[in-house]
Amino acid sequence: MTATTNPAGERGPQTRSRRPAWLTPGLLRDRTVLLLVLVVVLVVVVTVLDAMGLTSGRFTTDYLAAALIGYVPLALLALAELFVITSGRGGIDLSVGSMVSLTGVVFGMLFQQQGLPLVVSIVLAVAFGALLGAVNGVITAYFGFPALITTLATYYAYRSIALVISDQKPISGPEISEFYGAAKSVELPLIGHLVPLVPLGVFTFLLPVAVLAWFVLNRTTYGRKLYAIGTNDTAALWSGIETRRTRMLAYVTAGAVSGLVGVYTVAQFASARPDAGTSGSGMALPAITIAVLGGVAITGGIGRLSGILLSALLIVWLNASILLVVPGNEGAQAQLLALGVVLLGASLLSNATIRRRQAGGSGRREVPGSVSGTAT
Amino acid sequence: MTDTAEQARPTPGPGATPRLQMRDISKRYGGVRAIRHADLTVAPGTVHALVGENGAGKSTLIKILSGAEQADTGTIAIDGRVVTIGSTSDAIALGVQTVYQEPQLFAELTVAENFFVGREITRGPVVDWRAQAPRMLALLDTVGLDRGVAARPLGSLSIAQQQQVSIAKALLEQASILILDEPSAILTDAEIDVLFDVVRRLASEGVSIVYISHRLDELFRIADEVTIMRDGETVSSQPIGELTVREIAERMVGGAIAEGHRAPAEHGDVVLELDGLTLAGAFEDVSFELRAGEVLGLYGLVGAGAAEVGEVVYGMRRATGGRMRLVGSDRPVASPSDAKRRGVRMVPANRSTQGSFSFQSIAFNITIGSLGLLGRLPAWVSPPTERRIADDLIRRLAVKTPSARQPLAAMSGGNAQKVVLARQLVERPELLVLAEPTQGVDVGAKEEIHRIVADLAAAGTAVLVVTTDLAEVQRIADRILVFRAGRVARELPPTASQAELLAAAAGAEDEPVRQEEDR
Amino acid sequence: MTVTDARAPEEVSLRRILPPVVTGQEVVLLAVLAVLWVLLGIFTPAFLTAGSIGPLLVQVAPIALIGVGMTFVIITAGIDVSVAGMIMVCAVVTARTLVGADVPAVVAVALAVALGAVLGSVNGLLIAYGRVHPIIITFGTANVFTWLGLRVFDSSTVNNIPGTLSFLGRGAAGSTLGVPHSFALTLVAVAVAWWFLRYTRAGRNLYAIGGNQNAARLAGIKVQPRLVSVYLVTGALAGLAACMIIATGTSTLDQSVGAGKELQVIAAVVIGGTSILGGRGSVVGTLLGALLVQTVVSGVTQLGWPTQLGFLFVGVFILVAVGTDLIRERARRRA
Repeated sequence: MTATTNPAGERGPQTRSRRPAWLTPGLLRDRTVLLLVLVVVLVVVVTVLDAMGLTSGRFTTDYLAAALIGYVPLALLALAELFVITSGRGGIDLSVGSMVSLTGVVFGMLFQQQGLPLVVSIVLAVAFGALLGAVNGVITAYFGFPALITTLATYYAYRSIALVISDQKPISGPEISEFYGAAKSVELPLIGHLVPLVPLGVFTFLLPVAVLAWFVLNRTTYGRKLYAIGTNDTAALWSGIETRRTRMLAYVTAGAVSGLVGVYTVAQFASARPDAGTSGSGMALPAITIAVLGGVAITGGIGRLSGILLSALLIVWLNASILLVVPGNEGAQAQLLALGVVLLGASLLSNATIRRRQAGGSGRREVPGSVSGTAT
Repeated sequence: MTDTAEQARPTPGPGATPRLQMRDISKRYGGVRAIRHADLTVAPGTVHALVGENGAGKSTLIKILSGAEQADTGTIAIDGRVVTIGSTSDAIALGVQTVYQEPQLFAELTVAENFFVGREITRGPVVDWRAQAPRMLALLDTVGLDRGVAARPLGSLSIAQQQQVSIAKALLEQASILILDEPSAILTDAEIDVLFDVVRRLASEGVSIVYISHRLDELFRIADEVTIMRDGETVSSQPIGELTVREIAERMVGGAIAEGHRAPAEHGDVVLELDGLTLAGAFEDVSFELRAGEVLGLYGLVGAGAAEVGEVVYGMRRATGGRMRLVGSDRPVASPSDAKRRGVRMVPANRSTQGSFSFQSIAFNITIGSLGLLGRLPAWVSPPTERRIADDLIRRLAVKTPSARQPLAAMSGGNAQKVVLARQLVERPELLVLAEPTQGVDVGAKEEIHRIVADLAAAGTAVLVVTTDLAEVQRIADRILVFRAGRVARELPPTASQAELLAAAAGAEDEPVRQEEDR
Repeated sequence: MTVTDARAPEEVSLRRILPPVVTGQEVVLLAVLAVLWVLLGIFTPAFLTAGSIGPLLVQVAPIALIGVGMTFVIITAGIDVSVAGMIMVCAVVTARTLVGADVPAVVAVALAVALGAVLGSVNGLLIAYGRVHPIIITFGTANVFTWLGLRVFDSSTVNNIPGTLSFLGRGAAGSTLGVPHSFALTLVAVAVAWWFLRYTRAGRNLYAIGGNQNAARLAGIKVQPRLVSVYLVTGALAGLAACMIIATGTSTLDQSVGAGKELQVIAAVVIGGTSILGGRGSVVGTLLGALLVQTVVSGVTQLGWPTQLGFLFVGVFILVAVGTDLIRERARRRA
């Protein structure tokens, strides 16, 4: 991933804010820093509210750690969207929720009904997810369909397949119930007594994938190619990059990650539900929201893993905090409001700074949701 | 920093109110001063050239005039009356029309709709085509387009035709000031003649034309006066007859520049051999040999087929006939990655669409073409290695930047072009193809790029330069193949006269050589 | 060569300047729709009766109606995924008003439309002046509107809704001569929109904005007000559609109202031949697309197949419809 710095000779923007000058440019320029600050601010504010007795429960590190159960699938799906959106040319994946449902059902069938060993089942489920992603990738990259269209279609298709093959009934059983242990909270070895119980899924599911993703994005040639096709597909072609294959692999990755999330949700709910990813308004929209909040440019070519991990964390802890302050249904509703407001706020804010610093003019290439230190 | 608006003006009559007077203009964007102090005075019915390197401020000045930007200081007066141009519609209302370099048109709308977009004649809410049609058709005639194009979607026309539409569009309103921003960049010489006819006629009707171009020699054919900008200031403004091309270039750069042709050099083995190569619809029966250390120029008007030869050599397109032998192998080049594997690199013609990863860093832009070199293991990228390679190239090509982490978008045209060139030079290629290597590049960087090419050839690389820039091909090539209508018309030495080269490209070998242009 | 040429200007007929009246995609859709209806009529005779077609048209009406607005939006290269939230807010507010104040239908509809217009203009203002991609803005407002709707619901359902809006509903009061009023209303909206997009300056400018927003601005088109207006219209139509949804439902309204509708509307629009990239599109296509989707979904149920299979077909149709449109578009460009 590229690091960006001030273009030569430029000072920070003249803002009307009363913050000290050194603070504002960093915050507004780097999405990751902004998110980090917001997380810290959040924790501080809620701690204070807790101390003042305004919360309905204790705001402890245990509570925060427990909230991480929801963090895993959200962060993973946002990561899937990171790959797809960064690949550019309108890249997006609306079908991740359906892929989660379908791979979950397939996993349930393999593991519970067919009795295959756990690891084999997981591998097959992920591979199946990759296959689903490949369908998206081939249609989008090789046949030239807009990604929105392709994944809208597969959203419908995969969802219906999941419901049909499972006969609309969730799959459960003894093996799956045992598997539930894979997602629950555990004590960390060695330092366990100092640190709250962390959901195992963070280490077994999220951490390996995040590390792998970081390597792929920042230390492999594929990662460079991905950013290249997202920034300028034609120039990538001229540079000798196989753009179609690179793009397709992004969708395959999204599918594979969705497959993993499918397995995780089975563990989380102790059953393979065919509507796991598509109930309510589905998982795709929150995942995309988290990705964009995390600094992924909707037009492609920009996106950092650290941003995703932080934005998912912010949202998950924000949601948990809201439930403390506003319990019950109202709290669940307030979470929606918070997500919407944070997304709008962060996007509008970062665009306002880009425009102030940029040579006003054409605005021909817009980079919403992210700051990239460009000037004309 | 001298001449101001009081400098001598040509006809009409002394003391006539200038059509346009911009005074004491300055403009900052954040911390960058795009214009420190600029004046521009244009008499009615004259063609006034505005020149300057990239970053000199002329684009910004034009944006201010056309209402896309607002100046921080200074005044603008049109026909003696001080005006405020707060928006593009203000400018249009004041009679200022702009024809941009890239036609700002709508591919999905028909030509007719493109004509009137934004200023449709309406009866109530409905567009009145009966009223609009006659004027449009007449204007299509004026710019030499067939009336039948009116109903076609604009996207189905060629780029040159699209520009003709945009000029015709600009004539629709009664413009008193017409700004032409590098209009000839995408036109063939024949099309440029048509353009100049139109421009001269408009000037004789009293329209003032502000003409921006990098092609200095061209300006002498069309402009009455020239204003030169450098580093955000107007350096001089005077009738063009008082200067020579060299003097203008010197004022743009602020120092003397070297001249001359390429020194003859030793050439090695044949690297590239074309034998009757054909690409249906683009070129036919092209044959030549290119040796190591040699710089071969392919010169021709836009559409003559030279550009496509470059694309075939690099594997972007596949020939439909004939043979190509590259470093001993007859196998056609299948793709750019195949070309690269065989030692061929290419700098594409259009940097912004084909070469620039604008918001990635310079280091990214340089190394993206050589990913295999960035790490010890396959598919591995090591950032220190990336930095090292980038820094090395930055140094070798004298790219002006404080660091390799700068995004490419922050650079001027010339420096950005050097970066794209650097991408091809990470490993010294056997064969380097350059398409329009200095289009849109300022004089200083142009110099440097030509020097880099010469050095490259001296080190043994075979160089193929495809260009529509006559002066360029004469400066850097050992031999010139002139393309016309898809075939090689003639081979000429770089010392041939410009007239002869131009004639070969335009197909007028039998006609008398063109005289120095009358104006 | 002078501008005022002596040659008489040829009569360039309007037909040759404006795009064709019916697009290729619309013709194909009409044909497919006809074939499907015939096939369904053969295999399930009950399908072609007024009792079956009527409800189908009633189901189609709100989707196609919002689809008109969404077509405008997508033509400008935008998108609006907050439609579901807008429906929820308008529906619950109108329903509560009907229950609480027993207002006449006209007032209820006006309220819904006005509310929808306000919500839509929030989208429009943020998108036009915020310079942020529409998909991001409308993701954000989708959440906000949903929250708003849920707050008005206040964790309960709205019960005992009077039949004030039944003229838009499914029953006898909702149709005249077998034609549902809601569908007729939708047809009117489509007709007006078609005329607007084809003949008015404002409508043609939408295509320009979608084709190249920067160029549109430079050409003097007031881009931002136009953008605000398309989202406002979408919101207003969502309000009207909410009334239709209330009318076709039971006397109880629950929180699931509107869920998933945004994707249905978008599907109808893209199947109808409107390019997601902007600059090209037709409302007639959207109407046909909505009819096609609903036909497939109803048809599956009528044939006794699992309902879920209907979604699979929708997915396939989206790909096929867009695919043929892409092929046709590439051929047209080369012409």
